[in-house]
Amino acid sequence: MNLVPFALYVVAFVAYGWHFARRTPVIGRTATTLLVAAALAHTFIIGMETMEAGQVPVGGATSFISMFVWLLAVAYLYTEVTTDERAMGVFILPLLIALQAIPALKAPEVHSAVLRGPLFGIHVSSLLFAYASFALACVIGITYMLLFKEIKTKHLGVFYTRLPSLQVLDQMNQRAIVVGWVFLTIGLVAGLVFAIQAHVPSMLSFEDPKIFVALICWAVYSFELFAARRIGWAGRRTAYLSALGFAIVLLNFVPISYLTSSHKF
Amino acid sequence: MRLLLVGISHRTAPVDVRERVDFQARGLELALRTLASRKPGGSAGEIAVLSTCNRAELYVACDEVTSTKAELLSFVSAFHDVDPVVIQPHVYDVTDLEAAKHLFRVAAGLESLVVGEPQILGQVKEAHHAARQAETAGPLLNRLFHSCFAVGKRVRTETGLGSGAVSVSYAAVALARKIFGNLDGRNVVVLGAGEMGKLTAQHMKSQGVRNVTIVSRTMAHAARTAEAIGGATAARWDDLDSALESSDIVIAATGAATPVLTKAHVEAVMRPRRGRPLFIIDIAVPRDVEPAAGEIEQVFLYNIDDLQASVRENLARRASEVARAESIVDEELGKFATWLRSRGVIPTVVALRQSFEATRRAELDRLDFKLSTLPADVRDEARTRLDEITHLLIEKLLLTPTEQLKSIGDPETATLYAEAVSRVFNLADGSAERDTRDSGLGTRDPGSEARQENRVEPFSRAKSRPGEGRSGRSR
Repeated sequence: MNLVPFALYVVAFVAYGWHFARRTPVIGRTATTLLVAAALAHTFIIGMETMEAGQVPVGGATSFISMFVWLLAVAYLYTEVTTDERAMGVFILPLLIALQAIPALKAPEVHSAVLRGPLFGIHVSSLLFAYASFALACVIGITYMLLFKEIKTKHLGVFYTRLPSLQVLDQMNQRAIVVGWVFLTIGLVAGLVFAIQAHVPSMLSFEDPKIFVALICWAVYSFELFAARRIGWAGRRTAYLSALGFAIVLLNFVPISYLTSSHKF
Repeated sequence: MRLLLVGISHRTAPVDVRERVDFQARGLELALRTLASRKPGGSAGEIAVLSTCNRAELYVACDEVTSTKAELLSFVSAFHDVDPVVIQPHVYDVTDLEAAKHLFRVAAGLESLVVGEPQILGQVKEAHHAARQAETAGPLLNRLFHSCFAVGKRVRTETGLGSGAVSVSYAAVALARKIFGNLDGRNVVVLGAGEMGKLTAQHMKSQGVRNVTIVSRTMAHAARTAEAIGGATAARWDDLDSALESSDIVIAATGAATPVLTKAHVEAVMRPRRGRPLFIIDIAVPRDVEPAAGEIEQVFLYNIDDLQASVRENLARRASEVARAESIVDEELGKFATWLRSRGVIPTVVALRQSFEATRRAELDRLDFKLSTLPADVRDEARTRLDEITHLLIEKLLLTPTEQLKSIGDPETATLYAEAVSRVFNLADGSAERDTRDSGLGTRDPGSEARQENRVEPFSRAKSRPGEGRSGRSR
């Protein structure tokens, strides 16, 4: 079932790539339409899974990733519609496709009875929002670096003509980091309280790599916020940190979820 | 019915000739009204004047080309009080679809001195607006200009013909925008009180920067330049560091023989700025800023050669977009040509409608006698209803044939159909057939056609009298 949105994301990516290269308005509109179709198909599938499971399917890693992809697609569509800026699509979609490949090829896990209740909901949805924000920050950071390099080395080309200004990219990046950091903090605290209330000792161990890596993430983004406000780090340095931070998030997403037995209850 | 273009442009005439035939100076409307009073195109009477600093062009719908051309030339020389011998060698003239193509290319920016320059479309719009104001634009010119607006818009959105700065000061502003986004509220520091720095600063000022500070070794020079720019401030050379600290853009344009800003100096200035980017434009020769200063994080250093290289690249990119713009011109020209050809059937359509209307009138008149036996109020009611119903009936019956006739793109088929319709409905005098066989443009005088059409199409019951439909035809 998850193959349908996956295929649509791939087609939308082709359209975004074509639009990025040729900048034909019709192709741009087609790309957006395809992405909307993909997001709608994805919404339908998540809705079906919710009906089936009786709750929003975020308990397992696969369905969490599917939710994450959906959220990121919707968040990107929102920014595209409000800013009328399509150049970013070609950078976001590869991420969506790479991650959506997992739910497309793998059936969602069975949900444990422990993972219920409002606190668990806050824990998971906050982290979803946090990771989606960090993903946006990472993509914006990468485009910042590409544009920065072109201006700095005086080879004004592809990115110079298509991307918004460095200042705008920097602001967008910092905003995404602030939003992500707030949600990450809420998500971690909610997880802590939930684990204490659930009386499952394995839930509260620093030896759980997922918790450990999440804390590293929190430290990296906290430093980024501190550096931007106190030391005056901006531009390329924050862009690097955004990419680094999201690389750690991805580490938590894929290898740790599927190669270790961590954080499964 | 032909379309004629007579004009002078930067391709054919030097500036001293062009400025003598500038229509803008005395206003387009005066030119249009003066020309219209001479009735250059015969009965057609459609005129538009396009006037920019690089071209003066007259677009006229006329019956006969040679005499109209002579008439236009004598108008130009009389209106501007220039000897015809002076302008004659520089004048070009093209007709029909070639003239349309020329206007499309002008609107696309393909005929401009700097290919793809953005102002021209606005000037073409102005030409059309003036013609409408002066009531010298008819169906042909209206359609022509609307088609050329479409060309201009498509070329702008679908090609890169107008993209990229093509002068050094524009290139500097474009770069500043790419670094800072908006230039509102940015501070500019100009080193040196010379002409180059002043010009670039003026350009920045017109783009909305908040503050321009002129720093010069001689305070009096700085003050004088600041005054010339207007709203700028002057600062002493000793205050250079504090000026640099609060600045976003630095324009270095002193006449110094050695660099006035070293890498170490810029590094020292950057420290308290806490990562705020600094854009240094070094337009001085020899250079004012040590090239190594460009290696500092968040410093963007461009010298005059870098800016000129970017301008050359943009010009090359524009040149590579020309083919795409040309294909848009051809595409829209094809649409315009189809429309022109479809106008060939209009006389037949008009005749058909008039014939139907005449029959309707005649039948209503016959019926009127029978209705007269009814009581007065019932009779009036019955008349109104009958009038309405018969009118609607004719409208509906004629809708499809009209659309079908107008949709024929190929002129030969159009002539065949027009002939067939004329014969089947016995549209008597055969004028329709003659009209469709006309020139490449294949149409009659569009002004009078439209007027006829307007009169007949609404079947204006209040105005028309019995029998008017047929006998009232003005050909």
